[in-house]
Amino acid sequence: MGKSNAPRPRGSRLFRFYIALWVSKLTIPVLKITHHNGTNFPGEVAMKLCPDFLKYVARPEKIITVTGTDGKTSVSNLICDMLESAGHKVLNNRMGSNINSGIATSMLAGATVFNRPRHDIAVLEVDERSSRRVYPFVHPDLTVITNLFRDSLMRNAHPEFIKSFLDGSFPPDTRLILNADDLISSGVAPENPRVYFGIEKMDTDVVDCINRLNDLRVCPKCFGELKYEYRRYHHIGRAKCADCGFESPAYDYAGCDVDIKNMSMTVRDGSGSFKYRLLSDSVFNIYNELTAIAVMRELGMEHPAIQKLTEGLKIVESRYKAERVGDVDVIMQMSKDRNPLASSRAFDYVTGKPGKKELLIMMNNLSDEVDWSENVCWLYDCDFEFLANPEVTHVICTGPRARDYYLRLLLAGVPGDRVDCVRNEFDAADKLRFEPGSAVYLLYGADNRSLTMAFNVREKVMRLAKEAAEK
Amino acid sequence: MKIEVLYPEICNLFGELMNPEYLARSCGAELVYTSLKEKPKFITEDIALVYMGYTTERGEEAVRDAFRPYLEELKKRTDVGGVTLFTGNIIEVFGEYVEDDGGNKIPMLGWFPIHSDRHLMRRYNSLYLGKMGDMTVAGFKSQFGHSYGDVGEGLFTTVRGPGLNPDVKPEGIRINNLMATYLIGPLTIINPPFAKYLLTLMGVESPTLAFEDAAMDAYNTRIEEFSDPKRGFTY
Repeated sequence: MGKSNAPRPRGSRLFRFYIALWVSKLTIPVLKITHHNGTNFPGEVAMKLCPDFLKYVARPEKIITVTGTDGKTSVSNLICDMLESAGHKVLNNRMGSNINSGIATSMLAGATVFNRPRHDIAVLEVDERSSRRVYPFVHPDLTVITNLFRDSLMRNAHPEFIKSFLDGSFPPDTRLILNADDLISSGVAPENPRVYFGIEKMDTDVVDCINRLNDLRVCPKCFGELKYEYRRYHHIGRAKCADCGFESPAYDYAGCDVDIKNMSMTVRDGSGSFKYRLLSDSVFNIYNELTAIAVMRELGMEHPAIQKLTEGLKIVESRYKAERVGDVDVIMQMSKDRNPLASSRAFDYVTGKPGKKELLIMMNNLSDEVDWSENVCWLYDCDFEFLANPEVTHVICTGPRARDYYLRLLLAGVPGDRVDCVRNEFDAADKLRFEPGSAVYLLYGADNRSLTMAFNVREKVMRLAKEAAEK
Repeated sequence: MKIEVLYPEICNLFGELMNPEYLARSCGAELVYTSLKEKPKFITEDIALVYMGYTTERGEEAVRDAFRPYLEELKKRTDVGGVTLFTGNIIEVFGEYVEDDGGNKIPMLGWFPIHSDRHLMRRYNSLYLGKMGDMTVAGFKSQFGHSYGDVGEGLFTTVRGPGLNPDVKPEGIRINNLMATYLIGPLTIINPPFAKYLLTLMGVESPTLAFEDAAMDAYNTRIEEFSDPKRGFTY
């Protein structure tokens, strides 16, 4: 048990803080008994009783925060797993939420009744919009920003708006670990110390954008013309403004010689070059792995030690789960609803896999359907065009927005005779053909209702796949 | 026939670039794009529809500055019945001013008799159901503020959801065949009757939309949903 780095409350604040700590701590066993794990409630109580609770609650010796539109959960999990493998006691919020009250819940759980930290390091995933309510109080030593893209339009509007939340929210000594291949997020909080990671040119890179979603069509400084040296996807790549000279920063941690076939990548930094095993063949996850390696390097770890830590790592299964049934692969692929980037990346990844495939498209946000009606604008920022691929032999649209998906697929160039539209998710599974040698993908959303539905449908799909295999 | 898309490099949020694409696919029109540094083509060419979509707050000011020299040309085009569609916050750019959170009045182009407010900490999200004559229009709103002023009957008459602001029924602005609405996203795809109406105004006889049956199925489902009084309308 260490000594807290947090400032000590004085006077009446001391009394108020400890009341908040103790009362909120008491709510934890109560919630457990009533099976309400993972809730923000204890943190909400703490912040209600003491609005600056996050400022005074015990801080581990080091705090790492991870934010960004996509990849923050995967990166947080990787960092956490690596640090735990290295023998650290790591506080994290992977079971709770990533807004300020969720972080308060994790922090208070990590503090003793005398406000001493139980852990030596914290890895906290932080929602971008909570930045101003978290960073000034939590005071992270290191902050990772994975990238900034357009996300849920209702909440996040556009990346420039989200960047404005991040700008100015960090204490001046928080060191930022930024994606140099993203000209939006790499410019966050220019006054803060920073290092950059990025992946050097890959064989699959292009120059012109082939995606519908492109959040940076002109220079973010002067609206001038951006010239790309190479572009990975969307606005990710290395670019320079032809008008004002603004350009992508140099890499401090460069991923290079990415070899998907042999599942390896070299990471080059000031101390030399080291080869790593790839945890996944998706470019998005290669970024996630490189980011985690950069964090370890910033914590002072040497490459051989980091290499060893990556050996046993896995990308969390809830986002990608494959199982072979007879001669068919049944694959759960998270394709975050209301997020055109996540779904575009999932479509690109799925269609890049060899062989014939059937897709069950069920990324409906079922929680939205309870309260109002899902806003479908994002479908038209998303690259459904990837699915107009001859190896995608059959697509089934299902759920409340099935008809919207159907129309979008037709507009994307998917032939109508390859598409079925079935409102009920369980009935939709009956349409699957399970052609021998093919893969069946269930593309599902991330809200709790959709997750439950997806895994229930998966059970039926698995049963049907087994029946098909036995025939 | 040509459709001109103004400033697509910054006016491209929420899938709105699909609006001119869908109309073009439905009538075989050529899409022409005009960047911030270029003179709009409608000034010198025969353009059946001028379109501009949602942009960022900084983008609103960039559009204002880029378009200011051509405002009178747009007024002339509108006077003679030229067809123009603005979606999302572009309506604010042609208003008098936008007042931000700090009370600063950011001057805009001053054509439309409206002013707008902008509260960056308050995103206003809503479904929308309205009428244009006998036509029913469904859509989505997602914005940082509203507009105020006398817009007459507006573009749409609100059935459910906010009008130009939550206290009024008229939604959007109509001046001859210039139409501006706060509705966002692929408005023409979501509303096939409105898309056909636009095409007719553009001079297409008996228009047929791309994948019209599928579009109508999705439209009818949505109208039924949005007409259900039990369905929540704000997010």
